Amino acid sequence: MAASSARSGLTGRSMTEPATIYAAVEVRDLTRTFGARKALDRVSFDLPTGAFLSVFGPNGAGKTTLVKVLTTLTAPSKGTARVSGFDVVADAVELRSRIGLISHNPLLYPDLSAEENLAFFADMYGVADAGTRVRELLVAVELDHRRLDLVRTFSRGMLQRLSIARALLHGPEVLFLDEPYSGLDPHAVEILDSLIEQIRANHTFVMISHDLNKGLALCSHALILAKGKVVLSAPRTEIDENQFAATYRATVGMGVA
Amino acid sequence: MASEARGLGVRQFKAILRKDIVMELRTKEMITSMGIYALLTMVIYQVALSQSGTAFDPRNIAAGLLWLAFVFTSMLGLNRSLVHEKDQGCLEALLLSPVDRPVIFFSKAVGNLVFLLIVQVLTIPVFAFLFLQEGSYAGEWWMIPLALLAGSVGISGVGTLLATMSVNTKGKDFVLAVLFVPLMYPLLLAAVSATSAAVLGGDGSVQQFWTGMGMMAGFDAIMLLASFALYEFIVGA
Repeated sequence: MAASSARSGLTGRSMTEPATIYAAVEVRDLTRTFGARKALDRVSFDLPTGAFLSVFGPNGAGKTTLVKVLTTLTAPSKGTARVSGFDVVADAVELRSRIGLISHNPLLYPDLSAEENLAFFADMYGVADAGTRVRELLVAVELDHRRLDLVRTFSRGMLQRLSIARALLHGPEVLFLDEPYSGLDPHAVEILDSLIEQIRANHTFVMISHDLNKGLALCSHALILAKGKVVLSAPRTEIDENQFAATYRATVGMGVA
Repeated sequence: MASEARGLGVRQFKAILRKDIVMELRTKEMITSMGIYALLTMVIYQVALSQSGTAFDPRNIAAGLLWLAFVFTSMLGLNRSLVHEKDQGCLEALLLSPVDRPVIFFSKAVGNLVFLLIVQVLTIPVFAFLFLQEGSYAGEWWMIPLALLAGSVGISGVGTLLATMSVNTKGKDFVLAVLFVPLMYPLLLAAVSATSAAVLGGDGSVQQFWTGMGMMAGFDAIMLLASFALYEFIVGA
């Protein structure tokens, strides 16, 4: 892996930048309804800056809705949520420049090259010296040699690496990972692990995962959602793995929200 | 601060427009499908009118036929312009960025306008060949492009808004058509009137042309302002 400079290739922020002191994510009684169905039901939790939260839960538990609300893509029906100190509704535009999303969907244009995709999103985020930053990130995710190739020709693993570069372009403070390991081969998983490890110290993470082992291995905090409600929320140090797995298994039988 | 935000807005507008044009030049999906559809529609008109006899002058309905073709053609293209964004979750990525929603609206609308104008430039000569015999065009030459531009601005603006509304629905083609045609009705009347005046000429044609243009300008202004105001709500819904 390349890239580690005064402005780190992956983080895009100065290594001497002081750490912020507010909670990175503050969620209070967050509720999101779709018709009569409550996708999120009075969800509350705090996440300190620099933490890594793994969110578990069966399909339909409300995990993706939680990420959509925290990334401003969906407005909450009730309650409040602040990310990096910004309210997800009132300060949505400011907040968007401080967060990044890596999803199982690459969120990239298949008919643009890797470089064109990153340059486009650099313009969207108003990244200064975009050309240099794009090149820096392409080197960091080991795609510099494919920078002129159309994204539709990329493998799943390459797409995910480019997706990471896209999410890191503007130096976000909080990164949301929506099942980022989904569909990756073992080599791509290793590369993704390595990339997350490199940026871990400079970011707060919220990751949705179905993989208990992977999620617990990475996290500093864990949360289980079921039927839109928080079933368990605790720092990793307070979690007994067997008990946690039993709780998780019990939620799978609870059905959707 | 305000000028910085304006500068970023202009940069974002150019980036979205450039991206749409580059992708279209690469895939040629929209222009090809819209162009072929418009040409086929005109051929069908020609067949339909082939037995109308010598007493019938196709110039009388030429403007209506022309705008019918462009309305159907634009519906085809408008849906595709948003489907591109929907693929691979790109619309989500766009909405995640700190871009004011009206910037997305204007850049997509201008992109759709450019593609529609290109299709018009390609199909107008065929239309003239099929329906306007040599020397039968009676108006001033500049009237037609002006009427096409005014009508196309309205089609692109309203169409972009409605395509964004319908892109997440199940039967998006149907939903777009059901919303688009009634909303475009006043614009179509004005566009057909102005274009007819251009084609037929004669006494009072200049006044008829400018009345139609005035109505189209009013429609464009109202609909663009409404789209500007509603877009944030629509993409967030």
